[in-house]
Amino acid sequence: MHVLIINGSPRVKKYSNTNAILEKFTEGLCENGTTFEQYEISDKNSWDQIRQSYDRNTIILVALPLYVESIPGLLIEFLETLTPKSDGSKMVFLLQGGFMEGVQLRCGEACLKIIADKLGCEYMGTLVKGDNFCIRFFEGEWRENITGAYADMGREFAAHGNFNSKACKKFTGPETIPFFVRIHVGHILNTQAKTGFEQMAAVLDCNKPLDYKPY
Amino acid sequence: MILIVNTTADTSVTDELKKRMSECTTDFEVIEAESLKISHCIGCNYCWLKTPGECTIKDDYEMILKKVVHADQMWVVSDTALGFIDHKGKNVYDRMIPALTMYLKFYKGQLRHVPRYQKLPDIGLIYLGSADKAFLKRWNERAALNFMRKSLGVFERDELKEAVSCMC
Repeated sequence: MHVLIINGSPRVKKYSNTNAILEKFTEGLCENGTTFEQYEISDKNSWDQIRQSYDRNTIILVALPLYVESIPGLLIEFLETLTPKSDGSKMVFLLQGGFMEGVQLRCGEACLKIIADKLGCEYMGTLVKGDNFCIRFFEGEWRENITGAYADMGREFAAHGNFNSKACKKFTGPETIPFFVRIHVGHILNTQAKTGFEQMAAVLDCNKPLDYKPY
Repeated sequence: MILIVNTTADTSVTDELKKRMSECTTDFEVIEAESLKISHCIGCNYCWLKTPGECTIKDDYEMILKKVVHADQMWVVSDTALGFIDHKGKNVYDRMIPALTMYLKFYKGQLRHVPRYQKLPDIGLIYLGSADKAFLKRWNERAALNFMRKSLGVFERDELKEAVSCMC
């Protein structure tokens, strides 16, 4: 099996959480001989090349971050330029986001199903997973803790050719956070998480409070 | 104040909206954004973590964002693509995130970013061409939830009368 992987993140590859996820995913994907080619839509110079690859490949995986409950504007701009297919191509998606609950990504997942259909491709499922916001800020073992399990999902996809297996569904984690856990998490959000965000801001030389109102 | 951002080249839509709203007492402003320079969001998160509330991309969207954060209603007029709104319409939604902070809290049982301003606008969508309307309704409700506000509805080109009834 050969897979065209399109990284649909507008963020440059170096800082792309989606790319960090794909690095682990493709490790698992390739263990038993599956091959892939990967392109970034953040590099507009490569769009012609991606279109050519889309035209000649029949297994297409689009990995993307959730942007305002669906797909990023830049990815729509790219997809608008594609010609719908009629060669039995299959399309799968890897949808990742910052919020931890699975329910946050379901609207985006529904959009992807519509898009696959409009592009004339058979929809083979979406791997849905949140809680990825911090990847960019972590290195080494910390990053591995978040991204490592995607290698298993690469193996799953190589074995089944879709994201519909029980393991893929389970990978999403909880759809919502139970009420009593929310109380606990809410406390953390008001204390440690705030400090954590302020530390991230300090790394970026931010010199204003994070709730600053410029307008 | 009602802010209407037309991301399409079809000004007959906004002409009709203006005409229908002439009898409204509410203030409104129409921005013809099709010819403006509005980039996509690049996901740098600087508006949350480096220059809070300000987008790092200095283009024509800055002027729109300044109005969004003080509007009562925000309406986007968009073309469609692949069953959804097209990239120009989506860029206007994606670029609204400086109106939120990095901070998080639970709202209606789900995690949300804390709004930067006390009251952000409700959001309505008018679309041209064909799209999956049921999905757009679902999506616009979720989009408005980011502002902790409500969706004003999703309307087709020939439903401007109904859209205006939600404005006045």
